Amino acid sequence: MIVKHKKKRNLLETIFLVEILKGMGLTLRRMFSKPVTCQYPTEKRQPSLGFRGKHALVRNPHTQGSKCVACLRCVTICPSQCISIRFHQDEENGPRLLDSYEIEALRCIYCGYCAEVCPVNAILLTESYEYSSYDRQSIFFDQEKLLANWDEFMDQGNHNPHTYVNPFWRPRGCDIKGLAAPRRKAVPEEWTREGQIVGRKHKAAASPAPPEQGAKQ
Amino acid sequence: MAEINFTKLLVHLVVLVDVVLLHVAYATYFERKVIGHMQMRMGPTRVGPMGLLQPIADGIKLFFKEDIIPAAADRPLFYAAPIICLVAMLSCLAVLPFDPNHVLADLNIGLIFIFAMSSLASYGVVLAGWASNSKYSFLGGMRSMSQVISYEIAMGLSLVGVMMMTGSLNLGQIVAAQAASPFGIYAIPQFIGFFVFVVSMLAETNRVPFDLPEAETELVAGYCTEYSGIRFSLFFMAEYIGMIVMASIGTICFLGGWNGPFTVPYVPFFWFLLKIYAIMFFFFWVRATLPRYRYDQLMDLGWKFLIPLALANILLTGLMKTVLE
Amino acid sequence: MISLSQLLFAYLATAITGLALLAVNARNPVHSVLLVLAMFFHMAGLYLTLNAEFLAAVQIIVYAGAILVLYLFVVFLVNLKEEIRVKRFVVSQHYAILLAIGLCVLLVSNMDSFALGISGPWTIEAIQQTTHIKALGRELFTTYLLPFEITGLILLVAVIGGLVLAREDKATTKGNSDDENAETKGVHQ
Repeated sequence: MIVKHKKKRNLLETIFLVEILKGMGLTLRRMFSKPVTCQYPTEKRQPSLGFRGKHALVRNPHTQGSKCVACLRCVTICPSQCISIRFHQDEENGPRLLDSYEIEALRCIYCGYCAEVCPVNAILLTESYEYSSYDRQSIFFDQEKLLANWDEFMDQGNHNPHTYVNPFWRPRGCDIKGLAAPRRKAVPEEWTREGQIVGRKHKAAASPAPPEQGAKQ
Repeated sequence: MAEINFTKLLVHLVVLVDVVLLHVAYATYFERKVIGHMQMRMGPTRVGPMGLLQPIADGIKLFFKEDIIPAAADRPLFYAAPIICLVAMLSCLAVLPFDPNHVLADLNIGLIFIFAMSSLASYGVVLAGWASNSKYSFLGGMRSMSQVISYEIAMGLSLVGVMMMTGSLNLGQIVAAQAASPFGIYAIPQFIGFFVFVVSMLAETNRVPFDLPEAETELVAGYCTEYSGIRFSLFFMAEYIGMIVMASIGTICFLGGWNGPFTVPYVPFFWFLLKIYAIMFFFFWVRATLPRYRYDQLMDLGWKFLIPLALANILLTGLMKTVLE
Repeated sequence: MISLSQLLFAYLATAITGLALLAVNARNPVHSVLLVLAMFFHMAGLYLTLNAEFLAAVQIIVYAGAILVLYLFVVFLVNLKEEIRVKRFVVSQHYAILLAIGLCVLLVSNMDSFALGISGPWTIEAIQQTTHIKALGRELFTTYLLPFEITGLILLVAVIGGLVLAREDKATTKGNSDDENAETKGVHQ
């Protein structure tokens, strides 16, 4: 790391408060620059890629139900244990049938692990962030609500329900061969940027470090 | 005869106080806008066009808020403190000449009167600190007291140069003498005095970078921590009236008062107001730029730097005066 | 017939006496300091009725604005919520009252011997013409130069004494931040 020492003031600079005047000049210049304020309720902010907002279950276009296969991976990985699933099996070794899928969103920490582990791309965190409420009931999501959330997300018109791919369905830095078949869908180009690959080993193997990092070391 | 004068005086008084309080309200708006834009924000925009009704909304809100008095507070003093502050500051306004014909009390000791009153305002602050019975308030009050005492000396001494050049303490006569002087304003020949005045003006009004009495990061809100609602707003008003009074003294003593490069018809106080607002802008500008001083640095600056500098200025002014005569 | 100024004087005199008594009797030291502050105000008012406006202003600036604030400092630092009640110094209260009444009678009985001093060159008109501060300054630096300089010397001694005390304090206990306060007191008193 390079430490840049400030140049020592000389006597004249001390007497005439040059540094204070410089600072005052800066604030005066900033006064005439454009404000960076986003006037929120009237002017909405576009969430960036990988934004983790309101929970949803993807509606299967064929069955009109959810895609969930009740594998319980999301329940297992959830750090705040806010997901609960109930299922039954009609016959031994038969398919698991989902009875209920509930997310207590007030306990959720929005880590996105549930979406990352889901083998069938059933759950996701949408880009909608305006769902505060006056009661707890409406932020406790059951299966119907989660499916409705998906419909709402799709109705916003930015995405096609057939082609939409949530970035968390294919975590960065994962080898594509290690993923389940439904998860090999192409994610947006931005998301797979090599510099963003997670993990130490990947970083070392990836492209040479940016110049300013090299200067610091 | 006497009765007519009395009613006239009363009307004058009411108009003056109202106008100044309106200015106080809009000084807060001005401050928020200026600091907002300096920090690349927008300041108030919601209430009314361009947020122009924001001060009114704030006033209404503060007026109707609950007036909380801590159980352990010393009640009579707790009630009295904000009133002392406000009254002391408001009474300063009486001697300020806004234009040649508008001065409520044309005192011969105008300048000294203002000093007396502004030193009283520190009582309000320190009593608020003590009466609240809270450690933050108390520390804020103590800091304010020592700060105001220290910087009042520097400020008084910085104005002695002006007094020497004018030969009077009457504020109207100071302005008149300034108009007759070669530069038209005393800020040029009295530049050392002006510098000392500006710094101690910031300290005297407890503004950034000398806002230790209400240092948010350390003392919550300093002496007004325990105050709420209308009592808090009295302190707030007192602070802003203090700023206006200090800006007026600066205008009168150093910047030529109501005189300007040309006379504006129908608005005799145009230049005075403009200069006051320039100084107010300077207050806000400094607030948007500088961080807070440490307490010992503050005391060092006051006692070891500003007071000797002001004394040197007095000496220089005296020497110049004897040499020139 | 009582004139307005006499009425004013009567009010100020009673207020000063009453406030002084209250200040002595107040339980809470801070209240007591405040009552003294109010008393100083009335004294300033008294000076105003005597056409001594400069003196009135200085009374407020120096006494109320500086000295009393330092008293307040001391009271705060000692942190006395209520007066400590101790046994009386004198044996009986009656002696004290008797003494006070005796003194009062002595003063009142000698009222007749109070005479107005010789009025000097500074009449009210003369002062208003040359303004108060000029008159005061001229007198201080000509007629009363010696007493003025002696006062200045005494104050200088006090200042130097304060500084010396503060320095000694610094030598024994390193980095004591109270030395600024000590300086403050030295300059003011």
